[in-house]
Amino acid sequence: MPHDEVYEAMSSAFDDGAPVALATVAQTLGSTPRKTGAKMLVREDGTFVGTIGGGCGEAEVWQEAMDALEDGDARMVTVDLTEPVDGEDKICGGIMRIFVERLES
Amino acid sequence: MPNSAEIARALLIAAREGPAVASCTVMGATEGVEVPLGAKMLVYADEELGDIGEGPLQAAVTEFARSAIPKHLVQTCAFTPEGEFVEGRRAIEAADAIVEILVEIVEPAATLLVVGGGHVGLAVGQLGAMLGMEVAIIDDREDYANQERFPYEANVICGDFGEELERFPITANTYIVLVSRGHKVDELALRTVAERGAGYVGMIGSKRRTRTVLQHLAEEGLDRDALDKVFTPIGLDIGAETPEEIAVSVLGEIILVRRGGGAQPMSEHGRFLASARR
Repeated sequence: MPHDEVYEAMSSAFDDGAPVALATVAQTLGSTPRKTGAKMLVREDGTFVGTIGGGCGEAEVWQEAMDALEDGDARMVTVDLTEPVDGEDKICGGIMRIFVERLES
Repeated sequence: MPNSAEIARALLIAAREGPAVASCTVMGATEGVEVPLGAKMLVYADEELGDIGEGPLQAAVTEFARSAIPKHLVQTCAFTPEGEFVEGRRAIEAADAIVEILVEIVEPAATLLVVGGGHVGLAVGQLGAMLGMEVAIIDDREDYANQERFPYEANVICGDFGEELERFPITANTYIVLVSRGHKVDELALRTVAERGAGYVGMIGSKRRTRTVLQHLAEEGLDRDALDKVFTPIGLDIGAETPEEIAVSVLGEIILVRRGGGAQPMSEHGRFLASARR
């Protein structure tokens, strides 16, 4: 699936001289909402384009992306969806490794 | 060394217009291995933009990425720092040092060109749209080629089959399904598209009827190799009966061509059942 909306947002941020954080699913184990290569781009103001799967995993990755924008370090984030949340049943039951990096032109 | 803006622009062009590019990103490495995390390289069929390091690793990743373009691959791959491809979780865990590289093919959405807007064409187009393909449907009858008939995103073209197909752009990323009202039209359509390098050409019909069509075109002097590559009768053998089931069978075959696979049930029981029915 082409990620042209993510690349477009990235390109236009760079045209404005703004950095972005890019989160990319590097690997999945088990049943996960998105597969390898899924992308979410986060801007400095916290707005984002694209999705790596929604839900609490995405909120966690968004926070890491905001942190990466701040400190500039690339990082690998592991999102474990096998843990039941608040006593609810597991929804997806997989593990995703997500690469988060800060990019600027 | 290109900057991120150049890479982003190149990726946007690849995703919108093509040609396809293999985007490679260093995503991880065993502690102590000196590689720049996040380094990016774009590998085209005949050139590269950027690099992910140097020496044998760079060469190995470039070669791997180039070979991945026709497979539409998206995969995180492991290499040793010396450039050896490491396959399988066990081998990766056993290796002393690993560099993880995401290789993803960036290209425009595949085009599904459906020739014939009848019941089967309608269902094939619908399923193609669901799979994220850019769907185009051609018919020369207005009742079968109008936007209302197709309750999904599709480029509906009403016009002469020959003329419209002649001007329709066809690339290796175009998948063509011939399901028109009759063999005369299918033959005309096949004559127009067979030699233009589509990723897939499939034609509906019984073995006997489709063989006649292929014979006619061979006698006319159309390229043998191109005709040999036509998928006809069309689809995977799943016992499809209804237009919607035929659509599943056809799109199943298209996914098989795009992604590769064994086209067999995954389970032993399924394979047993399939062979028992043969």
